[in-house]
Amino acid sequence: MPTPHAAEQVFFKDPAIDRLMGVTMALATEVYVLRDRLRALETQLMDKGAVDAQSLNQEVAPEVLAQHQADRDAFVAHLLSPLLGQESSRGIQP
Amino acid sequence: MSTVNARAFSAAQDFLLGAKKFWTTQMYPLLREQDRAHVAHAATPVNARMQDNDLYPFYAWMERHLQRMKYAGRYGLAPWHETQRPALEAALAKQNVPTVAGFQVPAYYPSFDVHQHPGGLMGDSLAGFVYERGARSTTPLDKHFDLHHRFTRQVGAFLKPQRILDVGCGFGKSTRPFALQFAQAQVTATDLSMPCLKLAQHLDAQENITHVRYLQADACATGLDDAGYDLVTSTMLLHELPTTHLSELFVQAHRLLEPGGWTVHLDFLPQVQPGADEFTHFMHAGHSVRNNEPFMQSLAAFDLQGHLQSLGFTDISITPFAENDQALAPAYPYWRFPWTVVQARKAL
Repeated sequence: MPTPHAAEQVFFKDPAIDRLMGVTMALATEVYVLRDRLRALETQLMDKGAVDAQSLNQEVAPEVLAQHQADRDAFVAHLLSPLLGQESSRGIQP
Repeated sequence: MSTVNARAFSAAQDFLLGAKKFWTTQMYPLLREQDRAHVAHAATPVNARMQDNDLYPFYAWMERHLQRMKYAGRYGLAPWHETQRPALEAALAKQNVPTVAGFQVPAYYPSFDVHQHPGGLMGDSLAGFVYERGARSTTPLDKHFDLHHRFTRQVGAFLKPQRILDVGCGFGKSTRPFALQFAQAQVTATDLSMPCLKLAQHLDAQENITHVRYLQADACATGLDDAGYDLVTSTMLLHELPTTHLSELFVQAHRLLEPGGWTVHLDFLPQVQPGADEFTHFMHAGHSVRNNEPFMQSLAAFDLQGHLQSLGFTDISITPFAENDQALAPAYPYWRFPWTVVQARKAL
């Protein structure tokens, strides 16, 4: 029976990679949060020439999230595609 | 911007959902393809094949840690709802849900954090809200709530129940579709988690659903009357039960059903899925461990057909369930839960 604080689940031969993955994904989350906020700031400034802090801090509506889904997916693909180990050009045989 | 505001919370959760989508639609299919191409596929067990695979550790890490970040990270569901505690507790303050006499929490239930939900589903008064929000983004390709209506419609195709019992109802996600489709039925719904039950009742009130009676009770000890129901159902409960409770659940279903009544359950069984193989089972077992759902594996190994037969049920069927129109196509490439409907009838 597992316990609430069972042993760390490790997936890589070197557990340092597990932990560095955590650092990378935490940083990526912060970048995405900043991108979202920057986009919202730009939208407010372009639309009204001023920043409304209250609306800026409100939860993003599902329909707005849906509008940005392609951009989100492109950001995620840029971040995570290297994990797939796929080349993007034809090369010579090593 | 030093604190987490609502925009940051929703943006971070959306990022995690996007990462889960990538995992579902890119990592899983490629892992499947690479495994099929393994040079010694037939001679090497799948766990050894995965040890040889460079992608698998990333796949497994993502499965474990996207869920951790979703629930417990800086922008996680648990810390976010903590910031809303006064308002959320106030919202449930008027909800009173009775508890069955002699109620006891089974020992397994609070012994680990199911779904990586910190504290589990009984550990905090806000647990229902956290669970409800988390359920909105369980599967990135489907609206997770839609499948409940698909399931209810499937039941409605062969049964017009008048007295429904939904066990393990959580926050009523499975109950409301039954209550809406069978508006004339009396519906009883039970769960172990009082925070979830109170939220269920609160959400019902918001939708003007008035014919559901919620009750805190173990599905194996409901205290409800014999032969009081023509439908005993559950959704995503069977895989949450240790074998002893799983076995007893069907004993109780048989007791609670009137002759000719049906027990119908939507859950996860990899072995009945189209094209299921050892890779399917390995990934399902891995999900069980990585998502803190240990009884998925014992459910998959349990002889449901034999148990139902031994109890005297008839018309037993255990069939895959399509959560979307493409899900059961043989070449469906993406990760999915092995949705299955288990149904049987109490003999007349």
